[in-house]
Amino acid sequence: MNRRKFLGLGIAAAALVPATLSAVDFRKEKPDTWTAKSVDDAVKALYGDAKAEASEKITLKTPKVASNGGAIPVTIKTDIEAKSVALFQDINPESAVCAWTVPEGGVVNYSTKIKMKGSGKLTVIVEGKDGKFYSKTNDLEVALGGCEG
Amino acid sequence: MGNMKIKAKADGEIVKAKVMAKHEMLTYDGAKKKGKEANFITHIVGKVGEAVVFEMSSSQFLSKNPLFKFTFKGKKGDELTMTWVDLKGDTKTESKKIK
Repeated sequence: MNRRKFLGLGIAAAALVPATLSAVDFRKEKPDTWTAKSVDDAVKALYGDAKAEASEKITLKTPKVASNGGAIPVTIKTDIEAKSVALFQDINPESAVCAWTVPEGGVVNYSTKIKMKGSGKLTVIVEGKDGKFYSKTNDLEVALGGCEG
Repeated sequence: MGNMKIKAKADGEIVKAKVMAKHEMLTYDGAKKKGKEANFITHIVGKVGEAVVFEMSSSQFLSKNPLFKFTFKGKKGDELTMTWVDLKGDTKTESKKIK
C-alpha cells in the first residue's frame, strides 16, 4: 500500500470516530496494523517509520516454555511515561496482538493471555510521551500450538 | 450478567483490576475449520465515572475467554465499568464496585 492511500485511510477512519470517545480505537484508526503479515509491517502501519530502541526499562514477562499455546500469560510493565503500548508476535498469520492506550496518569502494568501457533518471538513497542519508541523482544517456546482451537 | 467477571481491589491509591471476558475469540483459521464466522473482541474500555482508566484494541490472537489485568489510580467505592465490542458489533457492559 502506498503512503498516500494509507494516509487517506487514516484520515477517513479518524473522521468516523465519534467525538465523545476520548479513547482511541486502533482498529478503526489504523486498520492496516491488524492485517500486516510481519512485525515490521505492523509496527510501520501503527506508528509510521518509528525507530524503536531496545530498552531495559520494559519488562516483558512470559513463560519460557508455554505448555498451552491457546492461553499464554503475558505481562508488560514499564516505568517509561507511555502514550501507548503494542504487542506483536511473528508466528501467527497476522502479527499484531493488541494495543493499549495508556490513559492520563495511567500505570503500565498489563497482563493478558494470548494465542500462539508455535514457538516465536514476542515484541513490545512502547510509545513514550517524549515521542521516542522503545522495544523489548522475548523468545518464546510453545509446546502445543493454540491457533486451531 | 455472566458476560464478564470483574474484580477490582484498592490498595491505597492503586487499584488492581482483573477482568475476564467470556468470549469465544474465534480466529479466522479456527472459524474456517469449525464452519463458523470469525468473531473476537476488538476493543475493550474500562471507565471510572467519565475517566478512561483502561483501553485496549485487540486482534484475534487473545486466548479464549481472555483475561485482562491492569492497575490504575483510583479509590475504594468507585465503580469500574468495562465495555467491550466484538467484530460483529456486539457490545457488553458490566460494572463493579472497587473493593
